[in-house]
Amino acid sequence: MGDKIKALWRKTLWAWSPESERESSESIVKNFWLHWFPAKVARASMDWNYSFWLGTASASLLMILTVTGVMLMFYYVPSTERAYGSIKDLEYAVSFGRLLRNQHRWAAEGMVAVVYIHMARVFFTGAYRGTRAINWVVGVILFLATLLLSFTGYLLPWDQLAFWAITVGTSIAKQAPVVGPTIQFILLGGHEIGQQTLLRFYVLHVFFLPVFVLVLFAYHMWRVRKDGGLAAIEGVRHERAMAPKATPKTKSYSLFGITPGTSVQVMSSTGLEESDQVFSSPNMSRRIALVFLVVFNITLLAALLFNAPLEGLANPSVTPNPAKAPWYFVWLQELVASTTVRMGGFTVSGALLGGILLPGFLLAVLSLWPFIDRSSLRTEGRWLAPERRRQNVTFALATLAIIVLIVVGVYLRGPYWRIYWPGQPRPEMPRLY
Amino acid sequence: MDSDRRKILRFIGKGSVLAAFLGQIGAAGRAFYPNVLYEPPSRFKLKRPNDYPDGYTFVEAHRLFVIRQKEAFHVISAICTHLGCTVQWKDTEFDCPCHGSRFLPDGTVISGPAPRPLDWFATTVSPDGFLEVDSASDVARDFRLLVGKGKA
Amino acid sequence: MAEIGNKNESFEAKDFGWLVAMSVLFFVLVVVGFWFEFSTDWGAYQREFPQLLSHYGKVEDARDFREGIKQIWIPKIGVTDRCITCHLGYEWSSVLPATIAEPLKPHPMNDWLAKHEFERFGCTPCHGGDGSATTLAGSHQGGKGWEDPMLSRALAERNGLTMNEMMQMRCNFCHRHDAATPGMEEINLAKHLIIKKKCLICHAVEGRGGNTGPELTYEGDKNPELLSFAHVNGERTMFNWNVQHLTQASVVSPNTQMPDFNMKPEESRALTLLLLSWRRLPYPPEYIPDPEVAAAAMQPSPASSATPAPAATPIAR
Repeated sequence: MGDKIKALWRKTLWAWSPESERESSESIVKNFWLHWFPAKVARASMDWNYSFWLGTASASLLMILTVTGVMLMFYYVPSTERAYGSIKDLEYAVSFGRLLRNQHRWAAEGMVAVVYIHMARVFFTGAYRGTRAINWVVGVILFLATLLLSFTGYLLPWDQLAFWAITVGTSIAKQAPVVGPTIQFILLGGHEIGQQTLLRFYVLHVFFLPVFVLVLFAYHMWRVRKDGGLAAIEGVRHERAMAPKATPKTKSYSLFGITPGTSVQVMSSTGLEESDQVFSSPNMSRRIALVFLVVFNITLLAALLFNAPLEGLANPSVTPNPAKAPWYFVWLQELVASTTVRMGGFTVSGALLGGILLPGFLLAVLSLWPFIDRSSLRTEGRWLAPERRRQNVTFALATLAIIVLIVVGVYLRGPYWRIYWPGQPRPEMPRLY
Repeated sequence: MDSDRRKILRFIGKGSVLAAFLGQIGAAGRAFYPNVLYEPPSRFKLKRPNDYPDGYTFVEAHRLFVIRQKEAFHVISAICTHLGCTVQWKDTEFDCPCHGSRFLPDGTVISGPAPRPLDWFATTVSPDGFLEVDSASDVARDFRLLVGKGKA
Repeated sequence: MAEIGNKNESFEAKDFGWLVAMSVLFFVLVVVGFWFEFSTDWGAYQREFPQLLSHYGKVEDARDFREGIKQIWIPKIGVTDRCITCHLGYEWSSVLPATIAEPLKPHPMNDWLAKHEFERFGCTPCHGGDGSATTLAGSHQGGKGWEDPMLSRALAERNGLTMNEMMQMRCNFCHRHDAATPGMEEINLAKHLIIKKKCLICHAVEGRGGNTGPELTYEGDKNPELLSFAHVNGERTMFNWNVQHLTQASVVSPNTQMPDFNMKPEESRALTLLLLSWRRLPYPPEYIPDPEVAAAAMQPSPASSATPAPAATPIAR
């Protein structure tokens, strides 16, 4: 009996723990869940210190967010009258509701960070050259979609934070030249934030953006395979090409008997050798499981330790002081607060300059970077290659500037958006009683 | 290569993931089971007894009939015992619009698919003088709430 | 990076230990999650309560008691009060003695309780606080940006009042148009002062009155940040600002046209309660009492209290 169960267990799940090389290669072909991986993967790609597995971590977060998000949908009501109450229900009356919301919130903020660090890794390893340029652009769009997902999710609790974040966000959109007011009108579903706005952001958050991200994510994965895997293999491939092996000796049968000589050899399409690669199943699938577990544990731990913020019910007549955007948008808030330019009688609004033109410029440069970059292709897949110092320093400085702005916005800004240094007392805001 | 220690560790690891996963499924299942209900309570107040005329009065909000015979009151549910449609009072009998069940004035089934007679609800007069119905508790067919003239 | 894979390195050997550790951690975290879920603030009280009931002879009710979150839901006035999840003895004042410690202590049988039934009013309309919360801190203090804390004894004392006096502010949410109401001495005094000090000469309330000063119809909804606390002593609260402003307006707002009324502290506190009670509220008509009923109830003892209520001159507010 025990043996029979064991046999059945093995028959169903063998693909996940292959015991021979034959099973390893067959598992990729025969198991639906494994079939989108290549049969073999380069050892260089598996290296923790090359990619830090940030893409896998991002995908894990996306999966966690999808599952927790769908669970939250069972209780959330996208109505201006009931949204806030339904969040309170999740907090206080639904079993595991608070944990669910916390994990969704922290996974969302984690995803913004991890996707950005993933992008930084790709940049610092110069892994966006050649055919990989397309996937870089796809990645930038995915990052943008991640930000939009976070932003649309932010509105849903219908608390003060949500209401005023949306007020500021859509006011920035309004500043766009020519189409701005129309964009704001469409986003809000009117001229003011109301039921239509909430419903629009809800549908964007739970349907359009997730579907968009999932489709683009599938394409992102497919392109990784079409590009031959991670750029880490380029160095190995180059080394192999530099040191061609002696073609093996062959015998040909000629009219006059056996003639020693050489013949045409078929190289593998990746240019890698047997010894450079390992079977994806179970080596890569195991590591993906490990990354998922680590990410899940971190988000669950955060959910257990910290509660997702929830402010008072949205009140259109009282703006919170200070009204801060979520941390990943605080740098933009810093920009819009300090980039209004006055020259004589001519004024450029900070919302236009800091909210649209500057971020738009950054985004454009980011997207087009692979086509601007003229560094040697030899640097592909190498961390902080000296030949690319200029590029890497530029990216690092831009990132540092954004981090500084975020730190200033999150920790130093107090009431009326004034700077308060650590230790400097902040004015006590008046209460009702 | 696969030492005993490794075997035990593998068992612990797989066991932990399985147990934790089942825990997650259990937690998700528990989350679906609501802890608080946004429903009217099963015990509720109607109007004062004297606000009802003699005979059958349909109370739409609570789907029931208040039946008054001079000073005697009783309350019959208007929910068909077949599949929950609202029955209508047709002068001499209750008729169900959904599947044609018919009931006598006391709720007994005459014909149609209804398996049971209509429910009779426990009824009292609340301290402040209103008819109070407990739709969660059933009473026998001879139940009558007698309301004295002075009381109502 | 350049070194090309050591052929003998095994990914299984590298990942195995981590995988086991992370699996065990996953399990531990899920267990902690369950532990958090079942160690509620209210669990202990709900286990104690049936014992208390049976101790006082209510064996059947003790047996029928079901653990879980309890709530009073009154959609008409937007009330979802889960206070009774802990305050389980609230409606048992006929059985349980008043000496039982909170939160199981029964609600005192006040005169007004008969007309303000739990199932029609819930808890928060009178007491304030976050009714939807099921944690000690969440329900009594509310969260960040929450402006409606529970009117506790401590909060009332901070403002120089008793809890009963402080709560009269919330009574006036519905009793706004009573000239005077039995049991609401603070508010009655304030309504008397409004007439005596002729506030409506300068201020408009509900469309009546002058326009020299700001309109006061929804004074209780005003954003406390809009007040200047430069010349206010003590706590930076709207309550404190109003108390000091009513006493000596010229000190608190140097440029004001409002005269110094030099009211007694208890008078300015009473008036502040009245001002803060004027809010935009969700109560439907059936919750608003008939002013004449209150006037009639005030009639029998016109001389007994310090607040001669001129029932014949209804001040509409």
